[in-house]
Amino acid sequence: MSLNVLEKADLHMHTSASDGTDSPSEIIELVKEEGIGLFSVTDHDTIQGCRMVISARSSSDPHFLTGVEFSCRDEGGKYHILGYGYDVDAGPIHELVEATHVLRLEQFGERIKAITKEYGFYFSEENLRELYSHEEPGKPHLGNMMARLGYAKSKDDAILNYLNKVKIHSKYIRPEDAIQGILRSGGIPVLAHPVYGSGEELYMGEDMEMRLRHLLELGIQGVEAYYSAFTMPMQELMLDLADKYRLYVTAGSDYHGTNKLILLGDTNLERISDAHPGFRRFLNAVSDRIY
Amino acid sequence: MKEVTGEVLQDQIRVTMSGHIDSNNAPEVEQNVRELLEQAPGRPVLIDAEKLVYISSAGLRVILRIRKTNEEVRIINVSPEVYDIFDMTGFTQMMTIEKAYRVVSVEGAEEIGRGANGTIYRIDQDNVVKVYNNADALEEIQHEREVARQALILGIPTAISYDVVRVGDSYGSVFELLNAKSFSKILAGEPEKMDWCVKEYVDLLKKIHGTLVPPGQLPDLRETVISWGEFLKPYIPEAAWNKLMAMLREIPHDDHMIHGDYHTKNVELVGDEVLLIDMDTLAVGHPIYELASMYNAFIGYSEYDHSNILGFQGFDFDTAMEFWRKSLAAYLNTDCEAKIREVENKARIIGYTRMIRRSIRRHGLEKEESRAEIELWKKNLLDLLDKTYSLVFSNNELDVEASTDNLDDVIDFVRGFLEKADCPLKIQMQVEVAVEEIFINIASYAYAPDKGNANIRVEILEDPKVAAIQFVDRGVPYDPLAKEDPDVTMSAEKRQIGGLGIFMAKKSMDDISYRYEDGKNILLMKKNL
Repeated sequence: MSLNVLEKADLHMHTSASDGTDSPSEIIELVKEEGIGLFSVTDHDTIQGCRMVISARSSSDPHFLTGVEFSCRDEGGKYHILGYGYDVDAGPIHELVEATHVLRLEQFGERIKAITKEYGFYFSEENLRELYSHEEPGKPHLGNMMARLGYAKSKDDAILNYLNKVKIHSKYIRPEDAIQGILRSGGIPVLAHPVYGSGEELYMGEDMEMRLRHLLELGIQGVEAYYSAFTMPMQELMLDLADKYRLYVTAGSDYHGTNKLILLGDTNLERISDAHPGFRRFLNAVSDRIY
Repeated sequence: MKEVTGEVLQDQIRVTMSGHIDSNNAPEVEQNVRELLEQAPGRPVLIDAEKLVYISSAGLRVILRIRKTNEEVRIINVSPEVYDIFDMTGFTQMMTIEKAYRVVSVEGAEEIGRGANGTIYRIDQDNVVKVYNNADALEEIQHEREVARQALILGIPTAISYDVVRVGDSYGSVFELLNAKSFSKILAGEPEKMDWCVKEYVDLLKKIHGTLVPPGQLPDLRETVISWGEFLKPYIPEAAWNKLMAMLREIPHDDHMIHGDYHTKNVELVGDEVLLIDMDTLAVGHPIYELASMYNAFIGYSEYDHSNILGFQGFDFDTAMEFWRKSLAAYLNTDCEAKIREVENKARIIGYTRMIRRSIRRHGLEKEESRAEIELWKKNLLDLLDKTYSLVFSNNELDVEASTDNLDDVIDFVRGFLEKADCPLKIQMQVEVAVEEIFINIASYAYAPDKGNANIRVEILEDPKVAAIQFVDRGVPYDPLAKEDPDVTMSAEKRQIGGLGIFMAKKSMDDISYRYEDGKNILLMKKNL
């Protein structure tokens, strides 16, 4: 593996396997166009996209590292935990993905129950069979069906005015389960966009450190200190904490295709060679797992 | 309620954010923002956050994304709470974020100053606010801050505003002005301080006028004043207008500072320091422009109705007149009534020009009251134009109409310099005889049968002490020295008429010379003191 350190690295992006808009093979092309030398696909709770990238990728394409992003929760709050460099055939990572899938199916069932109860919509056996025939049934599928059945004007109307209105108790795996599953699959667990919590919070200063210490006890090994939506003070805070606790550092954009305004390759790290030592330590640790 | 609305303007994308922006609506907010940005990629973005109550990290990320694709992002009207979030997270370092303007009321507040563009009120013991007349005054405020800063750098004592606030529908800028008292207030309440006020007021004025401003830093008033003159074209006789314009154009460009609205409400006593406020009219130009606006403030504005001054400055017309005259005398460093009148008349010409224009523009000629006032100003202006030939002045020059009526003024002016130089009485008499002869000569012949002016310049040179007196007129070329000296031995009846005076002048002076240059007769005489 020969990495060009003058190139960019973007280790956080989503494909259509989760909530991105680009297919895995489209992502490879975009990464190439963007001049990114090393990339990872980190779909939510699935490694399907990674498998497809590995099979679609040719040897001259940019280097690739397996990735995944698990949504977790415990008494301390919600976390997004990235896993890098795991073996796609390892059992524990598959068990994790399966566990999240089961949780989502349960949640989906609860949502159907909730809108049935709240608004009196009726879904026939056949309707339900159709919904569950999808690999990952979700609000868009249900919304489409509601529009078709005349319960809503459109998919968006269904989501906005019905599906989002009912309170569903979201189900999550615990952070220690995600961390252990990643580790046991040969991967490195990294805390995603730390300052933003699970994406919607804001932890600065001591609040951030407290949270990080909690995850350190659970086995987290790195922080995503280079992140598209970080300001300089945020980045500096995370690099300082990485120094203090001798953590790996990663860089990611959180690109979602046209779903969000994030630009592919925007990590606030221009070149691999400009990175904090924690990022080089990380690359060193995963070097034999880079495609 | 929609949290984000916006419009794409010619030069910017204007986004209004309101309510709560958090993870519940961030995707929708982002969608709306993206649609706006896509209409004009890269165009500067202005976000009005006046109604934004709360922004979560999801909202912050949306703003950060805007910043990634649009170099120039400015957020205005940010509440203190939201500002703290922007500050803590480093957003304030990445883009311009302006706090919402504090709202200040001036109801019942004491008015302490009034300028061309606004009124100044005291809002508490330590602070005053200048409320701008123009509702959309942010640029003016910026301009005034900038010129005040420049003035301070150049050594002019002034107050610089530290905050911009909302006052009703207008904007205000807040200054710290501890226990300040305007000179108007002092003159109104403590008339015994008249002479002290004059001295401080004039000292500061001289300091302003002595300040050289680097080119381009302040507006140049020259063209503006010329445009005032141009406005008058349809309203005064053509010959008078032509003369006015020629004189306005003759005033040279000058890089010295002028305040532009220098009256006693804009000069404040703060502790024992005299401070200048209301800096928005700061400019460069000839000091006659300043004297013109001073004349208007003290006299011109109340010339038709003497009670005007009381409402404006808080003191009466007599006090205004006394203060103006004494200030002008101190400014010109002279007691010579003729000198003071000369400069006053020049100031009045520009002053009337400006007021007539302003009054016509504001009220038109329809209203009886303002028409009567304009008629008075116009009559005075035309009288002055008739006997004035230049609007520039210099402390050691007297510019008068070449008329024998003005002889006493000329002698008085020259005498002032000689007395200051401790000139012996005998020599003084000799000089005065010579001045009389030369001036009468110019008054009688230079322009006859027309009229014109004479300029008498006095310089006292040291080592050896010499009085140098120069006469300049623009009349027909004439060398009075070329004439043969009269034969004084002849009997009075046989002597040629005239010529004797010049002969006496030659006799009594130590040196006398004549030259004709640029259409001017220049006669220079010197007397050892």
